[in-house]
Amino acid sequence: MQDIQEIKNEIAQDRRAFIKKVMGGAVAGSLLMVIPATATEIAEQIPGMRAEKTVFTKKRFAFIVDVTRCIGCGSCCVADRNEYDVPDGVYRTWVERYIIDDQDNVFVDSPNGGTDGYTEPRTDIPNPVRDTFFVPKLCNMCEKPSCVQVCPVGATYKTEDGFVLIDPKRCVGCGYCVQACPYSVRYFNKNHTADKCTWCYHRVRQGMLPACVNVCPVQARKFGDILDKSSEVYKILHEPHVISVLKPGMGNKPSLHYVGLRREVV
Amino acid sequence: MEKEDYKSNYNTHVIRLVVILVVVGVGGYFAKAAFTPDTMGQYGHYRGSNVEEQKGREMRNMTNDSCFQCHKYIRRIHKNGVHKDVSCEVCHGAYADHVKDGKYIGKLPVKRGAEIKALCLRCHNKVIQARPRDSIKVVALPQHLEEKKVRTDHICDQCHMVHDPLLWVKQAREMMGMKEEK
Repeated sequence: MQDIQEIKNEIAQDRRAFIKKVMGGAVAGSLLMVIPATATEIAEQIPGMRAEKTVFTKKRFAFIVDVTRCIGCGSCCVADRNEYDVPDGVYRTWVERYIIDDQDNVFVDSPNGGTDGYTEPRTDIPNPVRDTFFVPKLCNMCEKPSCVQVCPVGATYKTEDGFVLIDPKRCVGCGYCVQACPYSVRYFNKNHTADKCTWCYHRVRQGMLPACVNVCPVQARKFGDILDKSSEVYKILHEPHVISVLKPGMGNKPSLHYVGLRREVV
Repeated sequence: MEKEDYKSNYNTHVIRLVVILVVVGVGGYFAKAAFTPDTMGQYGHYRGSNVEEQKGREMRNMTNDSCFQCHKYIRRIHKNGVHKDVSCEVCHGAYADHVKDGKYIGKLPVKRGAEIKALCLRCHNKVIQARPRDSIKVVALPQHLEEKKVRTDHICDQCHMVHDPLLWVKQAREMMGMKEEK
């Protein structure tokens, strides 16, 4: 009798332990469903950016496009359309194909802004081709922006850290800035307010690279802090290169620089 | 003395003018105060609070590492291959359409057949003239398929694992004891 009683006690204890384990498992499991799987934060791509708490960043950013590397795949344009709601027919960033023949005639095309990539070769060029290359275009983030100067309501402005941004609540949609921009980067969005590439200001301030820079498979687009002497951007801008900006004669002083740009583009 | 006679004591027109000016001035002052946003002119001739609004915008694209947090099997293949610099989101779609606050919210479209071919040819099409030389491997179709002695209606991913294009090719060579083609 006593033996049987002991066994029963053991089972009872075991059962308690078993139930405890099941309950523990259930609690842990439900906690896993509540706590997001991506609790570990993605490493920041711009060092020290998330630690900054000031309204404007102390960094000074420059954007460099390496024309000699661009393969014209259009990944940047795809990423850009993923990131923003851009109407059809207008582009925040686009890729142009330049073909120069031996008579120095220049042929430029950009089917759908390069968003679908380049699928067809140009067949309408009569002479032998001397030079071909792709030129990605985006906002030049001018030091002296014409668009800010003409805005009558203070909707577009240049921040202290050098970004030219648009306040959609202030913009009245007059279109002066669209006409004033020498690089034609501005367009009207679906709310009929002016819009343009912001170098992904929200991403940059959250420590991430602009969407187009992040996806470029051949590192043709570079973005970085020119005050940081160890950055790639600083090195490129302080080394001997064929390096230039678009339309320097306009006096806008762009912060977007091109490596290997031909004179036909400028 | 005669001049005194001509001077009129009638000055209502002056009072009217002053009243109108004062009303317009005071009204204008309050109207401007009412219609100007609070933070206008905080840092310059713009609405200062817009900087914070711009900063707080939601990010829709993330990085490859965000995708690899869950897709561990693909990570092993993708990170060791020649396509390690190719972004997940360019082919598959934005992270924000798939995951929100760490939770699955929607399936990203799977690319198959001709769509895969189109994606491959965005970068690897030899007939597009402007590609810089020696940057990436480029092929012309259908010459590439003829060279490899396969049917010309083959899709790229029948021989090439899209996340590491040389994975199966290398494996096949090892199995068959083939040497690197010249």
